Amino acid sequence: MFGLFGLSYEFRWSVLWVDPHLTWLLNGLSTTLRLAAISWIIAVLLGIIFGAMRTVSFRPAHAIATVYVEFFRNVPLLVWLFFWYFGAPEVFPEFLKQWFIRHGIEFWSGVAAISIYHGSRLAEVIRSGIQAIPKTQLEAGLSSGLSVIETYRLILIPVALRLIVPPATNESLNLLKNTSLAMTIGVAELTFAARQIETYTAKAVEALTAAALIYLVLCLTISMIMNKIERKYAIPGLIARGTGAEH
Amino acid sequence: MKRFVRILIVGLLVIGISGVSFGQCPSTLDKIKNSGVLTLGVRNASGPFSFINRQNDRVGFSNDLAELVHKAIEKKLGKPIKLEMKETSPSTRIPMLTSQAVDLVTETYTDTRSRRESIDFSITYFVTGAQFIVKKGSPIKGAQDTGGKRIGTQQGSTNERVLREKYTNAQLVTFPDQAAAFMALQQGKLDAYCNDGIQLWGLKYKSGNPDQWEVVGDYISYEPYGMGMRKNDSDFRGVVNAALMEAIEGGEYFKLYDKWFGPKGELPYPMTPDVKAFLLYQVVPK
Repeated sequence: MFGLFGLSYEFRWSVLWVDPHLTWLLNGLSTTLRLAAISWIIAVLLGIIFGAMRTVSFRPAHAIATVYVEFFRNVPLLVWLFFWYFGAPEVFPEFLKQWFIRHGIEFWSGVAAISIYHGSRLAEVIRSGIQAIPKTQLEAGLSSGLSVIETYRLILIPVALRLIVPPATNESLNLLKNTSLAMTIGVAELTFAARQIETYTAKAVEALTAAALIYLVLCLTISMIMNKIERKYAIPGLIARGTGAEH
Repeated sequence: MKRFVRILIVGLLVIGISGVSFGQCPSTLDKIKNSGVLTLGVRNASGPFSFINRQNDRVGFSNDLAELVHKAIEKKLGKPIKLEMKETSPSTRIPMLTSQAVDLVTETYTDTRSRRESIDFSITYFVTGAQFIVKKGSPIKGAQDTGGKRIGTQQGSTNERVLREKYTNAQLVTFPDQAAAFMALQQGKLDAYCNDGIQLWGLKYKSGNPDQWEVVGDYISYEPYGMGMRKNDSDFRGVVNAALMEAIEGGEYFKLYDKWFGPKGELPYPMTPDVKAFLLYQVVPK
């Protein structure tokens, strides 16, 4: 089949499950999952906080959130990775820097870069969710005696989070896939493991296919879970569409 | 009509695919003759072998040797051939060769038996071994001191493999490129960086503050550099090897060595008598 590209290539899929290659893949997968999970949680929190701040009329809050979103989403993630690894730790106090160096500085720089970058993108998604809710809901909340923060916490954000499930799923999948960039700062994640197998065995197609399939399975699983969540938490009459997206 | 067009398209595709897959790969010399271009795989920061200098030219010892090969190919084909250069890296070298993106990888390519399963190498034109570069005064004096230490390596390099397999207590941090690894070392995020000795001397001299850095340890690996090319193309390999042999035999090789590694060269690295004898023994008689 690879005659297509004018080269003779011998497949040897066994390179994927002989040790140490399998261990590398599994370790890479575990690092990818940890990196993605921690970054996702932080990104969602940042997204909710700054997304909500973008919609309030209190000017300083609005300004801070706007600066955050525009600053972090408009620089490529790769540049942020270099910034958080090569740049930021240099201005930390020496004891803190040394502590990070002894506790996986590559990983935590990756978490910082990915979560803050994706937080800024999620903030926009959440803002759009909040702004899709009629303004009268905010007014109704305020006139029933709730404070602004309570209205956001009890009414607007719960509804907005339901509205934004499809775009937020998109962002979450992007976040998972973007963890592969962390290999540039020495994080041994899944793509790194695949490249490692490739450089040891020169079996590029097998190694990269394995990585691609693993990412595919992870992403499909997330899509399915998000689809279930969307259906489970749909508010009948408001945003119920009967069925979720087909897969 | 629609159906006819569909059948036609499928038919053409089938013919096209089978035609390509059963057709023979063109030999590299034919490819160069037809296109009039020899494409080299080079590096931007593997001085003094293959790098971009202050005048923004791609130069180096490997590039100079490749120029000799270039002349030999022109002579063999009897027509002028254009020389093009493409950036390669340890992890892209083999795919770029097999996909015909480059014809000859001339940078700092260690010849190994496992690599020979995928590609072919020219005769060896440089010999070095893996060592460590550390900040002056570091407790690391060689591979035996790497236990528990953060050691930087470059992904896809042979010395990464040696460390991973033989010095399992070292905490390896592997980067895709040398610049990132050396920067991490300079910032104190690594305790040492491991690569071919000659490359570490290159880093030391280029760091702007050579006295601050030390290259330490015995060679923990044997790194014979060769030029990489597609497998099973012995006509092309013959031309490349003959060009290198003639350069070694005629002394041109040693002039170039002196230019880059001599006392006044980019990176002084005297050739040991062993290495010189080894190079000469590789030259088979005419």
